[in-house]
Amino acid sequence: MRRRRFIEVSAASLASALWLACDSEGPKSARPALRAAERWNEKIERALFRHRSMDYGTAVLAGAAYPKYFVSDRVPVWNEAERGPWSLEVTGLVDNPIRLSLAELQSLPSVTQRVNHYCVEGWTAVVEYTGVRVSELARRVGMKREAQYVDFASFDSDYHESWDLASALHPQTLVAYGLDGHLLGPGHGAPARLHSPIKLGYKCTKYLTRVAFMAERNGGYWSDRGYEWYAGT
Amino acid sequence: MKRHHWIVRVTHWVNVVALTIMVGSGLRIFNAYPAFARRGETFCCYPFAHKAIPSWLTFGGWLAGARNWHFAAMWVLVLNGLVYLGFIYLHGEWRDLVPRRGDVRDSWEMFKFYAFARRDHPRQGKHNALQRATYFALPVVGIASVITGLAIWKPVQLGLLTDLLGGYVWARYWHFLAMVLLVVLAVGHVFMVFAVDPYSLTSMITGNYDERLSPEERNARPFYHLLPPRRAAQATAPGDTEQ
Repeated sequence: MRRRRFIEVSAASLASALWLACDSEGPKSARPALRAAERWNEKIERALFRHRSMDYGTAVLAGAAYPKYFVSDRVPVWNEAERGPWSLEVTGLVDNPIRLSLAELQSLPSVTQRVNHYCVEGWTAVVEYTGVRVSELARRVGMKREAQYVDFASFDSDYHESWDLASALHPQTLVAYGLDGHLLGPGHGAPARLHSPIKLGYKCTKYLTRVAFMAERNGGYWSDRGYEWYAGT
Repeated sequence: MKRHHWIVRVTHWVNVVALTIMVGSGLRIFNAYPAFARRGETFCCYPFAHKAIPSWLTFGGWLAGARNWHFAAMWVLVLNGLVYLGFIYLHGEWRDLVPRRGDVRDSWEMFKFYAFARRDHPRQGKHNALQRATYFALPVVGIASVITGLAIWKPVQLGLLTDLLGGYVWARYWHFLAMVLLVVLAVGHVFMVFAVDPYSLTSMITGNYDERLSPEERNARPFYHLLPPRRAAQATAPGDTEQ
């Protein structure tokens, strides 16, 4: 019976295809299509982006339940004896590159905002960050018109993530030095980190050392390892 | 006569692939944080918090792999769904699927028949009342899964939608529940195809359906009267007609 044979063969091949597919990354030949989908999604995400879309953390602060992630083997701590006092370099396509000490950073006009932290893993935490808007830094250094991207680099091994300019200049994107009313702790990226509710957590570089305005994007730690580069919320 | 138009057949099988990828990769994404509570809080309504979904049910290999598949296959699912819904709207097949007056009673009669509380198969037509309910619910729940998915993909830029669904945590929960419902409906559908009307499998491949082998003609319940009745060859046999 041909029909029955056909059904048997298709059922068997479907079952074996599913079995092979289980918990795998799928066929390598699908990668170009997946990348094309990511580029397409980025276009849509950029079109959806609004400077006025704000996030509000309406629940209680996560406090101690707020996870502490970093990529080095141990909690990265700035070694002042070895490297001198910590400073934040704001540079790249700017008229006046600057190097800010922590005290200088803290003396700039600051914002305190209670927002959600959206982790790529699916959890959220309500956090209250205090810091300086990236748009404020951009204004102070005289960002050039050619700047389209911003790279945020750290002293947590080679961790960095680059952003599209629009997201970096969003009013809720901060170089933060305070969390929940205290100075940033070593687990959360002390002395200063990038934070914004408009991108997934991995885009928000902790242990920040350098903000560079650029004409081209230069990827990032997790976005070079398969996570989407845009990662907007 | 063709039972299913080729557009319906193609979109059906594309949907099988897209939905399988979406569910598998979605479960792999879920496993990165198999819980719903905001950090520092508890969540009322999920008893299996922090228990990972078995990896053989997942697809994507790791979180980023699964996300890349999920955010690519979502377009296949949505575009394919739009083609299907657009087609059945323009071509009139939606009439076979929308709820009708008497569907509750007819569903109850089907239940009674499957539970051996009724001897004869209720009048079937193209689909029985339980099938119609399933095939109507699937696109509705599918649309719900797309809307809830958008709300957790863009909780800030589409914040109004996310708020409407009760915030990010609840939107993520509704997205999960929609997936569970889709899986339950799909598994029930596949079970019934093999247990009651395996002949309909042909109709979803070639489009042809032999009405003489319909569940009503065979008086078929799950695993009962699966084979073609001998009388199918004859015109009528005494004693076979409804008393």
